[in-house]
Amino acid sequence: MLIENTKMKSLADRLAGDEVKGRSLWADARKRFFKNKAAVGGLIVLLLVLAFAVFGSSIARYSNETLDFSIMGQIAEKGGPSLSNGHYFGTDDLGRDLFARTVQGTQISLAVGIVGSAIAVLVGTFYGAFAGYVGGRTDNVMMRTVDILMAIPYMFVLILLLVVFGRSIIMLFMGIGLISWLDMSRIVRGQTLSLKHKEFIEAAEATGVSRLTIIRRHIVPNLLGVVAVYATLLVPLMILTESFISFLGLGVQEPLTSWGALISEGSRTINYGTLWQLAFPLFFFIITLFAFFFVGDGLRDALDPKDR
Amino acid sequence: MFAYIVRRLAIAVPTLLLLIVFSFLLMHAAPGGPFTSERGLPPAVLANLNAKYGLDQPMWRQMLTYVWGIVAHFDFGPSFIYKDRTVNAIIAQGFPVTLTYGAISFVVAVVVGVGLGVAAAIRHNSWLDYLAVGISIGAQVLPNFVMAPILVLVFTLWLGWLPGGGWEGGQWQYLIMPVVALSTSFMASIARITRSSMLEVMNSNHIRTAKAKGLPMRKVIIRHALKPAMLPVVSYLGPAFVTMITGSVVVDMYFSTGGIGKAFVDSALNRDYAVMMGVTILVGTLTVLFNLLVDILYAWIDPKIRY
Repeated sequence: MLIENTKMKSLADRLAGDEVKGRSLWADARKRFFKNKAAVGGLIVLLLVLAFAVFGSSIARYSNETLDFSIMGQIAEKGGPSLSNGHYFGTDDLGRDLFARTVQGTQISLAVGIVGSAIAVLVGTFYGAFAGYVGGRTDNVMMRTVDILMAIPYMFVLILLLVVFGRSIIMLFMGIGLISWLDMSRIVRGQTLSLKHKEFIEAAEATGVSRLTIIRRHIVPNLLGVVAVYATLLVPLMILTESFISFLGLGVQEPLTSWGALISEGSRTINYGTLWQLAFPLFFFIITLFAFFFVGDGLRDALDPKDR
Repeated sequence: MFAYIVRRLAIAVPTLLLLIVFSFLLMHAAPGGPFTSERGLPPAVLANLNAKYGLDQPMWRQMLTYVWGIVAHFDFGPSFIYKDRTVNAIIAQGFPVTLTYGAISFVVAVVVGVGLGVAAAIRHNSWLDYLAVGISIGAQVLPNFVMAPILVLVFTLWLGWLPGGGWEGGQWQYLIMPVVALSTSFMASIARITRSSMLEVMNSNHIRTAKAKGLPMRKVIIRHALKPAMLPVVSYLGPAFVTMITGSVVVDMYFSTGGIGKAFVDSALNRDYAVMMGVTILVGTLTVLFNLLVDILYAWIDPKIRY
């Protein structure tokens, strides 16, 4: 025999084994994402920050509202970070535990980022998909409206809104949600335009599926990749927006706090030698933004059809 | 070209009107009037005050007066808090300051950003490239309100080289930190955009031809590569302008430079709606005008655009 028996046997074994599993789009993307070290690092940091926000308050030895009278008035000398008195991150200038405050700020900042991004996903996706799919004059009017809204310096309008309707956290969510969807709707519209003439949409139209159903069932699922990438990149932008407003003292109000408010407090007191009041909130702010950008970039590389 | 400008204006004008009407309605939706106070005024005095400022007129009438005042005389009306100053006077005081450091920051950001981006693209994968990429990634998470305290900490408190704030007629020592704080993140974005578009252009056919016919590298870059590579940068200038003008609020607050950002935040804290609206509308007008300029510039650079 020219072919060895053992080789034939191993070939037969392999053929008899499991069929090759098909790889879905998402499985492929997942694989690419986990190969990207920066993105995985970012994801781990995000999970840690999230854990800090969720479990931090049970680790903190003080509540975020208690004033520590033994330290008050001597913050610069006694209020520094210390393991022995339980103020892990030190105290703020009123003697409140900075660890507990940072946990609270992290919760609020993350919430603002996620809610803002979620509103953008919901409103922006449907607005963009509708405009792009329907096309014609409707599209023109809808996108011109977006153009007009985008030309407005939104930060000023947002502050105006907050001042007029009172600076509550709900108003902050609403105000940020009001502007966050604009970019998303443009991106989604662009993608929809390229999807619209694909054969499967034509097939759906030919079988008499209604427009809204086509948008919901055929267009939107195909947009999810782009939307996911952009939503991830939007979260840090929303956090930045909120922090900006809170830094000016126009955002969240005491006793609530956010990273921006904490950074603002810390930066106002640096010349008293209480550097930790700036350092800890800033640290969390920076690593989280970095992490979100890296995860967003990783997702883009994993999901972007252009790079395949 | 002319028709194109007209068409762009046809979007710009409604944008501004919408902004004015929207802020006007917002102001009226606000609880309490300008003369509401803790103690309360006698009704007769209140009526007289309302008559003086035209607040007894129907709302559409007030709105028309307001819009007309802005459009015809560039008059934003009186301040609600400072009885002796108009909104125009408050803005006129801060605007030159904002304009000075804003313009300097803008120029610095564009020049340094483009320079860094081009250098990184030409020396692709060298230490310079890595440095430029590193800076542009780092600066993403260092917005102006983070840069400002860090700069003060290092240069004022630790090194003692620069004054921590103030304006003093715009002497250079007082300008450095506001300009750096305002331009860093923006410069980084420009560098990143320039780098990637320059890399793309440098790989294109017409650059290969220019190299093949023996042009020196400097000429290839200046005459053939730079212009097409600038297109994405130019289209970024519009949003960048908005970011900068927004950032000037932080600079004004943190460095006490006394620009319009200061007037804006003070009025926001005092509920001086007239000043807030004035600043918002002014900033909106500037933004719209600037975007118009950018679009015209873009249409002029890009030969592919036909109007």
